[in-house]
Amino acid sequence: MGLRLDYKTDLWVDWCPGCGNFGILTAMQKALAELGLKPWEVVIVSGIGCSGKTPHFIYANGVHTLHGRAIPFATGVKLARPDLTVIVDGGDGDLLGIGAGHFVALGRRNLDITVIIHDNQVYGLTKGQASPTLPAGVKTKALPKPNLQDAVNPLALALSSGYTFVARAFAMDVEHLKEIIKAAVKHRGSALIDVLQPCVTYNDLYTTPWYRKRVYKLEDEGWDPVVRDPSERPVKLARAIEKAQEWGDRIPVGIFYQDPTRDTLEDRIASRIPSYRSLPPALQRIDSNGTPIVGERELKAIFRDRLIRVKKHH
Amino acid sequence: MEEARFLLGGPQGAGLETAAQVLTTAYAVRGYRVYSMREYFSNIKGRHSYILVRVNARRLPRAPREGPDIIAGLDAESVFTHFTEAREGTILVYDSGQAGVSPERIPSMERELRKRVRETLSRGGYPPTVEGAVTYARDVLGARPLPLDFRGILGELSKRLGIPAFKAKRFANTIIIAAVAGLTGLEVGDLREGFERRFPGRRDVVEGNTALVEVVYDALGDLRGSLALDEPLEPPGEYFVVSGNDVVAMGKVVGGLRIQTYYPITPAADESFMLEAHENLDADGSSLGGVVVFQTEDEIAAISAAIGAALTGARAATATSGPGFDLMVEALGWAGMNEAPVVVTYYQRGGPSTGLPTRGGQQDLYSALFSGHGEYPRIVVASGDHEEAFYDAVKALNWAERYQLPVIHLLDKFLANSIVTLEPPSLEGVRIDRGLLAGSAGPEYRRFDKSGGPISPRALLGQEGVVMWYTGDEHDEYGHISEDPVNRREMHRARMRKLEVAASEIPEEGERAVLYEGGSDFLLVGWGSVKGAALEAIELLRGEGLRGSYLHLRVFEPFPSRYVLEVLRSFEEDRVIAVEANYLAQAARLVAMNTGYRVARRILKWTGRPIYVGELSRAIVRIVEGGSVEEVLDYGA
Repeated sequence: MGLRLDYKTDLWVDWCPGCGNFGILTAMQKALAELGLKPWEVVIVSGIGCSGKTPHFIYANGVHTLHGRAIPFATGVKLARPDLTVIVDGGDGDLLGIGAGHFVALGRRNLDITVIIHDNQVYGLTKGQASPTLPAGVKTKALPKPNLQDAVNPLALALSSGYTFVARAFAMDVEHLKEIIKAAVKHRGSALIDVLQPCVTYNDLYTTPWYRKRVYKLEDEGWDPVVRDPSERPVKLARAIEKAQEWGDRIPVGIFYQDPTRDTLEDRIASRIPSYRSLPPALQRIDSNGTPIVGERELKAIFRDRLIRVKKHH
Repeated sequence: MEEARFLLGGPQGAGLETAAQVLTTAYAVRGYRVYSMREYFSNIKGRHSYILVRVNARRLPRAPREGPDIIAGLDAESVFTHFTEAREGTILVYDSGQAGVSPERIPSMERELRKRVRETLSRGGYPPTVEGAVTYARDVLGARPLPLDFRGILGELSKRLGIPAFKAKRFANTIIIAAVAGLTGLEVGDLREGFERRFPGRRDVVEGNTALVEVVYDALGDLRGSLALDEPLEPPGEYFVVSGNDVVAMGKVVGGLRIQTYYPITPAADESFMLEAHENLDADGSSLGGVVVFQTEDEIAAISAAIGAALTGARAATATSGPGFDLMVEALGWAGMNEAPVVVTYYQRGGPSTGLPTRGGQQDLYSALFSGHGEYPRIVVASGDHEEAFYDAVKALNWAERYQLPVIHLLDKFLANSIVTLEPPSLEGVRIDRGLLAGSAGPEYRRFDKSGGPISPRALLGQEGVVMWYTGDEHDEYGHISEDPVNRREMHRARMRKLEVAASEIPEEGERAVLYEGGSDFLLVGWGSVKGAALEAIELLRGEGLRGSYLHLRVFEPFPSRYVLEVLRSFEEDRVIAVEANYLAQAARLVAMNTGYRVARRILKWTGRPIYVGELSRAIVRIVEGGSVEEVLDYGA
């Protein structure tokens, strides 16, 4: 396997034929190639399940983590190397069920990470149980009875958590999704893309034809998601949350909200640790040929507030 | 006298922690060695807390010890909680204005204690009041009561400073600090330095406290200096005045830590605060870098983020306690599976569940060793005192990278919260070992290449010209999922074999277990903060003609089986005694598991309070001379 710039690996992609994940994978590979990023400058971090395998199919650094924990793993990578492009792939159960706390926390931080939700309303790899985005009362084919629990709205949750880029896309419209991924990666701050991803095996309600009939593009209707001045924030945010409620006969896709005026977590850290951007944690020297750079003298200097000089006696 | 011991009590939030820092600093300024420990409730304000301070002119005291020379109570509850700890000559300082208070009037007192106090006093025919308790301590135990008029003292302060009475009251905790300092002969200036350290830049607070010290010194009259300590013997030029939490933070900085993640939990969080307060590593005007201290939304995120950072090559750690560690376990397995160098600093407290959240114990050895599904290699190292904790923090970071696995550094609340004067540690011979790195890797790089042995050259996320994959699934050498049985056989074996490599490189004798030889009358087997009490008890008993030794277990994985068995066999079987702050004698059972040797005698304590030197000594005598096989300790309020 030589170095490749098309972001493809030679592994067999073991998703079901017709799975929405193929659209997401292709859109990601194209977006990364078009952004001109080197594969080693990119880290794809995933949770578990079908979507969790995504990093293995992309020729870039891949970290396939635990159920629900992709965001914290990605957070560690990004904090240590803020210059890397970090993208999270996770299912709706992963990011909005078991990992919901992390999902909210990322928004609070506005760390520069792009989160892609593979939103298919079911737990696929465990055979089709209801996920946190499946509405109450519906019965997909694997469910023994209609769903008792109602759906969370990923966009509204992201907006109220503080994400500064919030979008929705349709997995089967690869070109459109690719452009949104590019915009999300370029955005400085926490970005969410909720991708409507048909599960051909377990979700017989929200199918590709069902979506095709309903989705429309926000940009086609002149939607302006961008906050140009912090004073616009409350109004644009409220409008985006309202727009996020639209679901049914017409389903909007596109960028709902984008606020480039907020500082990122990296900005806040850099304001306290001046060398953070130029010498982030992973790139600092900690030794000189095996000798710690913090030696006895440095230790006393750094912790001088804990050092007591003994007085000579009278 | 060579050593003085005092116990200062008062309600939580009234400044006992400040007292510990101020007094430790003041004695350190004079060159004394100080050990102080703190007991407190899980409560912000109002419940009883106390500090126990040992000041020694010759050497650093290592553990709490019974028989305080002074018991100083800020309130009535302190008197009721501690009067039975007085012995012949103990000076009992209390507020004469509280003399008539009875336990029933103290809502913060726990019912059990209230009942015990009543019973003790009524048995001896004393009234259930502070006065009664003080008289009991005088008549029955030989204590010397020293009533101070707190109100009068604060009134005098308000007069001297020209401040209203309610403002003077804020300095109340300094009355007992000053009483202790005055009785032991500290100068006003020594205490002043303690206050300046504690309240940097707050001149009015320093002035107010110093003025109060003078008022109290006047009130002590002839008693001032009556417990004067010997001049300190060969004091060093400098001391660090640090807690166990502090020294771990300092060790991590030397060891190159650059990311610390944490979620607030007692008794671990102070370590992260210490790091954050020193996040810019500035020495003499030049920057040596910075440590990012990151508070996460929970412990799962804390360890996950630390692992993510570790994959990029940053030295990364998280610090927690039992309940937090429980949440980290799944990710710990991921680190094991992916050979990620991460350090978990694990401060044990009383469990299970929320247990005794602000008290100590050694109940989590098995949790550290065996938690998690599946098999994966980990190193578990336990520190016995501040000095060990400092060096272990460096070692843990080195081992994590050298063997590419999670390292758990075990400490406990007793160590975390005790403050000592520590001579600046020597860094002679301290190295940074980053292990096998794939610095010149290219497109053919395979993260889990086992062709050269169980430890693969490690490239870092973001390294130019290299990509790699990680997964919690079983994987091939590229890091891609593989369920192939032959691959599984080899990969699993390779991961586990890293422990054998570690075992072959880390010496058993002296590093994974340490024998303190003092004679063959008995052998104590312990670990962690048992060390201090064990060594002092051995010394105490030597004066009584019993000569014992202590085997200190340091690294539990890989376990030093050969050396431990050799040491155990060199003692009479009925003279080998396990000493642990738990119910199961966890380490002793682990010894049996690893060596087949069963330690049949044990001294255990699980009250959440540390093992005291005196109670341990008496228990040893009962086993060695009285034929007892198990002793359960319970000293301490």
